[in-house]
Order: sequence, then structure tokens, then C-alpha cells
Amino acid sequence: MSAHTTTTADVHGHVDTDHIHGHEHHHEPTWLETYVFSTDHKTIAKQFLITGMFWGIVGGLLSVLFRLQLGWPNDTFPFLESFLGKWAEGGKISNEFYLAMVTMHGTILVFFVLTGGLSGTFANLLIPYQIGARDMASGFINMLSYWFFFAASVVLFISFFLQTGPASGGWTAYPPLNGLRDISINKGSGLGFDMWALAMTFFIVSSLLGGLNYVATILNLRTKGMSMMKLPLTIWAFMFTAILGILSFPALLAGVALLEFDRLLGTSFYLNMIVVNGHLLDYRGGSPILYQHLFWFLGHPEVYIIILPAMGIVSEVLSVHSRKPIFGYRAMVVSIMAIVVISFLVWAHHMFVTGLNPNLAAVFVLFTLLIAVPSAIKVFNWIGTIWKGSVRLSVPMMFAIGFVSMFISGGLTGLMLGNSPIDIQLHDTYFVVAHFHIVMGVAAFFGMFAGVYHWFPRFYGRFMNDTLGYIHFYVTLIGGYAIFFPMHFMTGLPRRYYTFANFETFNNFNFLTQFISIAAIVVFIAQLIFVVNFFYSIFNGRKVDVERTEDGHTYGNPWEGTTLEWTAPIERIHGNWAGEIPAVHRWPYDYSVNDKPYISQNTPLAPGEVEHT
Amino acid sequence: MLAFVTFALIVLFFTVLVLIGKTNELSEDIAGKGMNYDAKSKWNGYLLLGFVIAFFISIVYQVKLLAPIMIPKSASYHGEKTDNLFYVTLFFMTIVFILTQFALFYFAYRYNQSKNKKAYFYSHNNKLEVIWTVIPAIVLAVLVVMGMRVWFQIFDVESRDKNPLVVEVTAKQFQWMARYPGADGKFGHRVLDTAHITPTNELGIDWTDPNSHDDFWSDKLVFIKDKPVLVKLGALDVIHSFYLPHFRVKMDCVPGIPTQFYFTPKYTTEEMREYLKSLPWWNTINPETGEPRWKTFKYELACTEICGRSHYGMQKEVVVVKDQAEYDEWMKKQTPIYVAPKSESASVDTAAAPATAVSDSTGKEAPKSGKPVAALIKK
Repeated sequence: MSAHTTTTADVHGHVDTDHIHGHEHHHEPTWLETYVFSTDHKTIAKQFLITGMFWGIVGGLLSVLFRLQLGWPNDTFPFLESFLGKWAEGGKISNEFYLAMVTMHGTILVFFVLTGGLSGTFANLLIPYQIGARDMASGFINMLSYWFFFAASVVLFISFFLQTGPASGGWTAYPPLNGLRDISINKGSGLGFDMWALAMTFFIVSSLLGGLNYVATILNLRTKGMSMMKLPLTIWAFMFTAILGILSFPALLAGVALLEFDRLLGTSFYLNMIVVNGHLLDYRGGSPILYQHLFWFLGHPEVYIIILPAMGIVSEVLSVHSRKPIFGYRAMVVSIMAIVVISFLVWAHHMFVTGLNPNLAAVFVLFTLLIAVPSAIKVFNWIGTIWKGSVRLSVPMMFAIGFVSMFISGGLTGLMLGNSPIDIQLHDTYFVVAHFHIVMGVAAFFGMFAGVYHWFPRFYGRFMNDTLGYIHFYVTLIGGYAIFFPMHFMTGLPRRYYTFANFETFNNFNFLTQFISIAAIVVFIAQLIFVVNFFYSIFNGRKVDVERTEDGHTYGNPWEGTTLEWTAPIERIHGNWAGEIPAVHRWPYDYSVNDKPYISQNTPLAPGEVEHT
Repeated sequence: MLAFVTFALIVLFFTVLVLIGKTNELSEDIAGKGMNYDAKSKWNGYLLLGFVIAFFISIVYQVKLLAPIMIPKSASYHGEKTDNLFYVTLFFMTIVFILTQFALFYFAYRYNQSKNKKAYFYSHNNKLEVIWTVIPAIVLAVLVVMGMRVWFQIFDVESRDKNPLVVEVTAKQFQWMARYPGADGKFGHRVLDTAHITPTNELGIDWTDPNSHDDFWSDKLVFIKDKPVLVKLGALDVIHSFYLPHFRVKMDCVPGIPTQFYFTPKYTTEEMREYLKSLPWWNTINPETGEPRWKTFKYELACTEICGRSHYGMQKEVVVVKDQAEYDEWMKKQTPIYVAPKSESASVDTAAAPATAVSDSTGKEAPKSGKPVAALIKK
């Protein structure tokens, strides 16, 4: 392993000296090359982040709109008609558009924000910086990855403006509801769904291109001395996230392709004996359940694709700001691996009540509860990291702590949902909504925010504003719990209901749905504070204390981190390091050791010092 | 004008926030402690500690406020077991929840840099890590074993009653069609081809089969106390899900794939009302009916798989009668489908709850949307 690493680092270093040398008399990159069709990982990271923020606002706004309907099902909001038009005639959101919003909210948040926006941003920013590489293995493929994501975004966004509206059969897109191209069955199953499928296809291509690049980069471009066990946990998380994506996204692509065959070519992969308005359609022999298997074969790993990068970021942030090594580094690495392996064996826990063979369910219960073990290890290790630290309660640290809190709260309810007999009652109810929003929605956002606040100085050489950051944190923490915690008590109330008025059984929670809606609006506004803070701070944030060195570059390490990204010049330069790439001599968590606050990874071992293993 | 004022207010709100933020930052810089987090760590430490305490108190309050409103105790035998499993899991969860949440926020407070200047270099402890791997693993193993015992009891075909009450429920957008086998206990045969499936005979019932002659549609699901029920499920157009919240029953209705659920009701509708009468919240007056809530209590059937625009309207009442005699009496009053096969689909429509019929017509035929469905239902 180490011989291999050295070779690639040497070769790479050689190439880069040429490059840096050639840079002086080469043509200056044009504006278009620098900011739009850039192959620089730092710029691509920003592109992913800002696109993700755009989608975050759209997805959040959709949830505010459908929360208006849920909170006040008997009232009208005339202002809605002015910008939703026929979808909200008389100021009342139509039941069709309600489903479309729920569907798009799910698709946008799961894929475009928490996969593209989160993984795309931080994997791109941190992989080259933290492993000590000039850039990704292929800058061009990396650029393509973003532009496929962009294309997916454009297609999905346009689908909002169709006559029949965007897809509206749930983000999981189960057939036959989404499998019949018949708008009398479901308006969103017309062109809206075809565009959804096209957008997802582009998205999957983007994700695969990105993922392959991340893995190739991590395995091949580590700097001299950076053995795998010296990688920061962020990198481990990004690598396993990428592997998960590479292995699972193709299943969804296949699933969606077959679905489009059924819709457009008249095949029967998922359809059998469908009767519409008393007429038996010609589909024979397919199985709607097959689609669910294909979907969840991605769908479940997908939640780990979302949460693993957040876990990596949080591990790093907790350690840096506690001024302590991450507790149990090896256990953390092993638990990520365990989660990745087991996450491929749990998908059918989404399907306990589809008529799945009960014997098969037993296997999935076992693995589902088993995956709680590595998750528990991680939680204990995070808490162990804070213990006896000298905790700097900066904004990123607050979000990291919030992440752990959310992950505990949401993760524990997974033990109920994963146990099939309990799931009979809880499946597709608000209990599930509470569970996954806390554990992979809010928690992943906390991880993302921790990352943005922490690495903002790495992006822009400035800090985000602390005061606004703390306000953002507290409103989101309290508001997040105010929205989702009470939903646990709505156990048994079905999801995706436009109103509960038709049921005696479900109609008792009106005051609570209103409370939740108000909390959702407040939390949404708090996210806008984050957006304002972000863009304001790019230009006016407090500058990072820097030191100008002889090479004419400025260096700063605002959080006193040990990892390599802080050894690179704080201003954006192509190739990341001005001179040679630093070699690595120690693990990434030497905090408060040898009477020093921290020792960077590129600091050679002191005479007599034993390497941490 | 209103829009402009709103917009101006929003801009003002964010401007003020940014100014406050910037002012704080500048005053810190002037005081020369820009990157010194001592003070911030101190008050945020208190706030985090305060948060976790407030969080715990709010949970107690939520339990007090919301638990009485929740769907009441299980009305079926297997449901008692699944509920029990829920509470066992909840017990373990609560312990872990309290310990970890408290430790997390307390450590953040206790070891914040204003209180603890020097971090303790402590990278791992294998013994500790083994302990906190093994203990969760044991607890989870216990939960899996308990869960699987209940699961296989629910789905154990061998031990089932050989002569249960069989009901066939077929779902379509947006209603439930419940077919009972009539006095002979046998359903008429169904032929699934274009000759038999027609707009007036969506199930493709073979009228030449004499068993079909006493089958009847029912506007509600009627079960018998302590008599096992086998619900045979299907769907015509898209996936629906058969959900009886009070009985802890849920099973998808999948077009082209038959499914079923077997369970035994424990309490009649009347017994459930009597039970609820003993609970304070159920004695409060429902403003919509002007009656105590327990009086209008009913079991209901709902759809829990997204099935289209009126997914939320697929309601059907469920009644549990006390014995076979009461059931037989009810059955005698039903009209067989065979007697009036032509009005079959119409009879389903009129029999269905008005809410369903209304929501269906709003969505499907006349796009006279804009009229709030809920408002229509209210009438």
C-alpha cells in the first residue's frame, strides 16, 4: 500500500511542477473557464453548493406551501392564486398540486440538495485539499458531473411549468400510479413524470461521474506519506459514499428506464391486469413490486449517501473544535464500512406490508436492526470526543452538536420502524415522516451547515457572521424539533393526506398541524438568514488572519486544524499549493498533544516521537 | 401595494439582522477579541444546557397533551402484541435517548473552552468501545427475537382458523369495494378477461357460477367479535393500502397480485365506545357534532399508499358486531349483486361515504377545481 502511494504521489508531483512552471507563460484562463466551465475542484464545489442552495430554497418553499394547506385546510390564501395561478384557484391549493408539491419536495431535498448539494460540495472541496492533491483525478469528468447535475436541475425546474404540472405520484414514483401515462389517473403522470425521469437520469449520470472521480482520486492521488489510515474521517466518508452511489444508483437507473418502457413503449415490466374505468388494459405479467425492489435497492443506500458525508464533516468539526482527537478513529472507519455493507441488505424494510413473503421480512429486520450497532458506535464516539475537550462553541461546532442530537432522536425511532410487526401500524404514517425528516433531513442539513460555516474561510478567506449564525442555529434546532417531534404522536395518521377532515379517527390534531405549520414557516425564514449571511459574508465577512510568506501567498488556519487544506494558500490558486505538495507524517487528529494546541499533518515527527496508530 | 409593503418589510427585516450581526462583529474586533471564543462558548454552553433541559420538559408536556388524543388501544388480538413490542422498544429507546442527549449537551456545556482550557488527549479506549458495541448488539438481538416471534404469529398460516369470516376488498381510485360471500360463505368465481370485466362488472364476476348469486356489496366492513377475519385484498388501477388503524392492520392492495391479512377483532364498536367513555379526553365535546367524542367513535378503513388526487378521501366505516346472530341479521338485509347487477357500480357509489363520492367527482370528471373539497364535504 505505502509503496504504491509513494509512486503515485511522486508521479503526480512531477506532473504538477511542470504544470506550475508552464502556468506563467500559458494563456490566462478566460472568465468562462474560470467561473462557468471550470475544471477546478474549488469552483465546482461552489457551483454544487450554490445550486444546492437554490434547490434548498425551492424545496423548502414547497414545504411551506403545503404546510399552509395542512395547517389551515379550511381557509383560503388569496395571495397563493397570484403566483400559483390555476393550481390555487381562489387561494386554495388544489389536491392535485398538493401531491405534486409533496413529490417535488421529496425529490428535490433528497437528491438535489442533500445528495448533489451536500456530497457534491464537500467531496469536491475537501478531497483534493485533504489528501494533498492538485485537483481531482479528472477535472474534465468532474466538470461534466456538475453540468449533468445542472441539466437535471433545468429539466426538473421546467417541469413545474407544464400544463399538467410536475410529477405528483410521490418521490418514490411507484407504478402503476406513475407507470400509466394517463393524466386522468394522475395529472403528474403525464409529461411531468417523463421529465422527472429524464432529470433523474441526468442526476444519476452526474452522481456516477462524480463518484468514480472521487474514488479514483482518493485511491490514487494521495500525497506522499498519506496512507489510508492517515486520512481524515471526512475523506473516508466521501469515499464510501461514492462507492455506495456507484453500486446503487445504476439499479435506480434501470428501474426508471423500465418504467419509461412501460409508459412509452407499452411493455409490462411493472404492470399486470390493470382495470381503468371498467376496462381491462393489455398489460400482462409484470409486477409493481419489482419496481419497489429496484427503487429501494438505491433508495435505502441513498439515505446513507446523504448521511455519511454529514457524519464525516461532523466528525472532523467536533474534533477540531473540541481540540481533541476524534475518539476511536479506527472504530469510526470500521463503522462507516459496516454501514455501507449492511445498507445494501436492508432495502425491503420499506416493503414489509407490500405482501412480501414474511420469511423474507425476517432477514431484513435482522439487518435493519443490526445497522444500528455501527450507528450507535459513532454516536458514542462523538460524545466521547467532546468529553474533556476544550470545546470552542463556534457556529460550526454548534451545528455539529445539533447533528448528533438529531441523529440520536431520529435514529432511535428507526428501531421501531425496522421491526416489521411494529411497522405494520407505523408504515406510511406521520411517525415515518418524523423519523426520516429528523434522522436524514434535519440531521443532514445540520451536517451541511457545520461544513459550510467551518470551511467558509477555505472557500472565501472570510468568516460567516457569528451572530447570524447563532440565530440560524437556535431557530433551526428548536424549530426542527418543534416541527418533527410532535409528529411522533400523530402515529397512525397517514402521510400525503391533503386533509384529515374525512376521517373521525385522524381529525383530532388540527391545533397541532397548525403549530407545526407555523414552526415550519419560522424555520424556513431562518434558512433565508443563512442564505443572506452566506452571500453577505462572501464580500463583507470578517477576514481570516493571514500571514504573507516569501512565496507571495497568504496562509491562515482560522480554526487551528491539522489537516492539509489549511496548509494551502488561503487565496484561490489553481493547483492548490504554490510550491510542492506537503508530505504527510502523522495522523490528522494531533490536538492538544506534546504541549502544543495542534500539530499539522505535514509536520515531521519530533525526535523520539512515536507515530500514533 | 400590499405586495410592495410586504416585500419592503422583508428586505428591512434582513437588513436589520445583517446590521446587528455586522455591528457585533465590529465591536468584537475593536475590543480585540475577534477570534476569541471564550465569551461565546460560555453563554452558548449555558444555552445548550438550557436547551436540553427545556427539550426534556417539553417532551413530558407533549406526552401529557398529545398521548390522550392518539389512536386508542388495539381493537385486535395481534395488535396488542405489536403495541406491546412498541412499548418495550420505547422503554430501551427512552433510556438511550435521555443518557446520550444529556451527555452530549452537558459535555458541551461542562467542557466548553471558558470552563476547560486544556483538552485531554484521549484517542481511544478499546475496552470501552467493545462495551458500547456489545451492549447495543445484545439489546437489538433481544428486540429482533421478540419482533420475529410476534411477526410469525401474525403470519403463521398453519395455526389459523380453518373457517374464518372472509371478506374481499378491492380498491380503486378512490373507493373501497367490499364484497361479502353471502349466506353460502362462498364467493362467486371471477374471470379476469375482457369479456367479463366491464364497466358494470369491474371484478369480472362470473354470473354463471351459482355461488355468485348471494354475494353482496357492503357500504361498510362488518366483522364479528372474536371471529377471525381473512381480508382478501386486490386493486384495479393503482396500488392502494388497506389500513385499519384501530386494528393495527395494514396491507397493500396491488393490481395483479392478490394479498391478504388475517386477524381477529377483540372489541365490538360498542365495547370500544364504553372503554373510551372512561377516558377524560373522549368525554370532551366535539365542536362539530356537539356530542362527547366517545359517542361518535367509529372504526375506519383508510388508504395509506399514495394513489392519486383523492387519496385522502378513501374512507369506509368498519363495524364490529357482538356475535354471529347480529351478523346474520345484518346480512339478511343486504341485496345480492346478482339481483341488480346493472346498478352494481352505482350502488357502490351511493353506498360509499358521501365524502368519497364527492372527492371522486371533483377530481375525476368535472375539473371544477378551486372549490375546496373539505368545504364540500362539510355540507
